[in-house]
Order: sequence, then structure tokens, then C-alpha cells
Amino acid sequence: MADRRRVNGPVGQTIPPIYDTPPPKFAANQKSQDAIRKIFLKTGVTPSASGSAYLELENPSSSTGRSSTSLKLTCTVHGPRSLPRSAPFSPHIILTTHVKYAPFATRQRRGYLRDSSERDLGVHLETALRGAIIADRWPKSGVDIIVTIIEGDQDRNAPENQADDGWDMMNVLGGCITVASAAIADAGIDCVDTVAGGVAALVVRDEKSQPTIVLDPAVAEYHKVFAACCVAYLPVRDEVTNIWFKGQLPDADGMLYAKLVEQSLIACRNASRVVIKALEDTVHPGQDTS
Amino acid sequence: MASTIAVPGQLLGPASKYVAGPGTHIHEANLYSSLLGSISVTEPAPAPPPAKRLHRIAALHQTSAPAPTPTISVSRAAAGRREVLPEVNNVVLCRVTRITPRQATVAILVVGDAVLEAEWQGVVRAQDVRATEKDRVKIYESFRPGDIVRAQVISLGDQANYYLSTAKNELGVIMATSEAGNTMFPVSWKEYKDPETGLSESRKVAKPF
Repeated sequence: MADRRRVNGPVGQTIPPIYDTPPPKFAANQKSQDAIRKIFLKTGVTPSASGSAYLELENPSSSTGRSSTSLKLTCTVHGPRSLPRSAPFSPHIILTTHVKYAPFATRQRRGYLRDSSERDLGVHLETALRGAIIADRWPKSGVDIIVTIIEGDQDRNAPENQADDGWDMMNVLGGCITVASAAIADAGIDCVDTVAGGVAALVVRDEKSQPTIVLDPAVAEYHKVFAACCVAYLPVRDEVTNIWFKGQLPDADGMLYAKLVEQSLIACRNASRVVIKALEDTVHPGQDTS
Repeated sequence: MASTIAVPGQLLGPASKYVAGPGTHIHEANLYSSLLGSISVTEPAPAPPPAKRLHRIAALHQTSAPAPTPTISVSRAAAGRREVLPEVNNVVLCRVTRITPRQATVAILVVGDAVLEAEWQGVVRAQDVRATEKDRVKIYESFRPGDIVRAQVISLGDQANYYLSTAKNELGVIMATSEAGNTMFPVSWKEYKDPETGLSESRKVAKPF
């Protein structure tokens, strides 16, 4: 699917600068296993949209001279607005989600058209939000939720030939759910709860160590990721609206799957606290206590 | 009462203590907020004293109403930002965009007191223009494109249009411009007059308050 309508940049990877002295090997033990990375979340960043939010994840190993952030997302919500004339009658709100990587967001440059992984993220996001929105409060209307990934959750300094397994998509989806939840609340669309996204993964730190479950894995810090799980969760109702499990568990331990989901829920609860704090700051911007 | 913030999903209290207002929902006999905003509790209006003689049959729910409970609602503090939708029985202001022999197409601009951000399309069918002599209604003698009309929503309608009605005295054209381009004034229930040329044009005129 070649894009012939725009002036496209060269395809392929963006090569980071090469220094005489290689960057110091990062210390992998910056973040505790059962904590999530620090989240910056702010609503109302796009004045032209009905609701918007911006999310940034801290890079826990930033002291080693690398970038201090690892994931940057912005979400705009347009609507509720009238449906196009061609659309059939709908007694409830029509939810449309678009997830798009900026061309420069990942090491592999992205095109201007959405590829299959971006559409995949959009479908997951739509499922996660559909369970939270009270759709029949807005008959005959539609809402567009657009998430732009400004910076993906990848290590820019990783060697060029390192395989890209797509584990970072889990973290991106978790961030998308959280940022969209804040933007929807900012737009004033009725929700049963503030949905939040969280990720847990089964990883090994190096070749010798035992597999462990960590929350919110910064993928670049681990030797290998066996499996990862991204959950969208309604904390007050104690309901899961979307679950995405990827990878293979090393042994046939049925409990491991349940444990992984359980840890994801903890990550969701942590993210939910950030959303609620950001929303309270939206209503009373003066009381900035951060 | 100091404004307390509610976020979506926040517990507001048992459903037996409050009546659910805008921006809230009920889940398992509890009231939860469904919007981001500040909580407001409005006490119910005191019940009118019972009339000495009942002139008409009282509705069942009025006679057997329990002790009134306050209504709790959640709304955004920065008022006016909240988008509203036209609902059945709302009185709306709209501009006529197109007329055909059977109906007038309008763009709904205001619902109640709230100005809409999006423009919603509505339609006034010929049989909904007035309450009497419905079969003699001629749309081009009732509306012209550009008129501002006060109307009532009677149905959510089909996929594209809200169905509106002007079949009341106080509903109809409230602002009209003549063919010469001047703003006209109403002279009767079916006539507007141009102050400069003195010509009159027929409209379904809204009764001034």
C-alpha cells in the first residue's frame, strides 16, 4: 500500500548518532518490580477539541544520559457531534477510535497511513472505552477519539539489528486507554467509571535469572519478555473491559496467567489514581499541589 | 455548599437518599457520578398545598408520592462548555435552511438556554406547522429560508433529522427578513410586515410573549 499522495521521507530506520565512547550501560535496577513508571497527565491541552489530554511516561534509567521520557501520547476527543447524513439511525453514541504513530515515533519510520498494528491498537482501544461509556445518553451522535503517539516506548540507542518484537505495543495500548479516559472525561461524555490501562509482563533480566512478573515493563531493560498482558479496568466497578494477552508462558502453570492478569490490575489501579488527580486539577486548576 | 469535585465513577450516595439528576447514574442501588464536575444538591420544591376542590383527576404518582428527596447532579464548573442534545419536548430555536412543498428543513441552533456547538438538522413537516386546518397549510406561506423559528421537538426522528412542530400559539417564526432584505415586524398571527416597503408577507407567526 504505497502512499503516493504525500511527500514521504526515506523509508527505513532512523539511525541514532554514533559516539566515540559508547553510551554507558544502563543500570537495570532503577525501578522496583511492583511499581509503575511515573506518569505525567494533563487535560485540556488542545483548545479546538471538546476534550483532550497529554500523557508522558518517565524513563526510569534517565540518569545514564538517555532521554528522560519514554512514551508520549496526546489524545483529542471531538464531539458529541451529529452523524454524517449517510449514517443510519443510531439510538446511542457511535464511537470511533484512531490510533496513529507519528512518523518519527519509533525507530522504524511510520507512514502517514495507518498500518495494521495501528488499526489493531484502535480496535483494542475502542473495546476498552465502549465498556465505560454510557452510550444511550447521546442518541444520534458520534464521537471521534484520536490518539497520536509522539514517542513510542522504545530504546533509541538500541543496536540497529536488535529484533523488534512488538512488546512495546502493550505499553502503548495501556497509555492510550489511560489518556483517552482522561480526554473523554474532559469532553463531558457520560462514563460509568474512569477506565485505566495497565501492563504486566513475565520477563527475565539476564540469561541466568529466573522469570519474574513485573509491572509496566520498560521493554529495553530486560533480556527477554516471555508474555505480557494489557488490561483495561474500571476500578470502582471492579470490571475489566478489555484484555490483551500476548506471548507464551514457559510452563503449563495455570496460575501464572491469573497472576499476570492480577498484576496488570494493580498497574491499572495505580494509573487510575493519576487520572483522578489529573481530572481534579482540571476542575480546579488553581490548586496545583502535584 | 462548597463545590465538591466528582470524577466519573465516584460514589455519591444511596439511591434512596437522592434523586438522580443530570450527570449521574444508578448502579446496584447506589448513585454514581458519570461526569467530571462539581456536585450540587438541590432541595425539591415544597409541595403545593392540596387544593380544596379537585378540579381534575389527580395523577396517581402525585397523590401517592413519598417524602420528596433532594436531587443530586454533577456538572462542569466552567458552565457553557457542556454540549447538550435536543430532546423530546424541548423548545428550540432554529434557522430555516430549505423549504419544499411538504416540509421545511431547519438547522437547530439553541436548545432551551444552551447554544449548541454542533449544528443539528431538523424538519418541520407540513402537518406539524399549526394545530388547525392542517391540510390547508402551505409551507411557503409559513416559512422562508433564513427565518428564525421557535419550535418544539416532537421526535428524535430519522437518521438525519429531528422532527419539530410549531403547532402552538407561542411557536413559529420569531424573526424574518422581507424579500427586500429588511427585518420585518409581526402584524397578525399569519403576517409579517416590512417597515420600509410596507408590503406584508405571510408566515406562521409566533405569539410574542
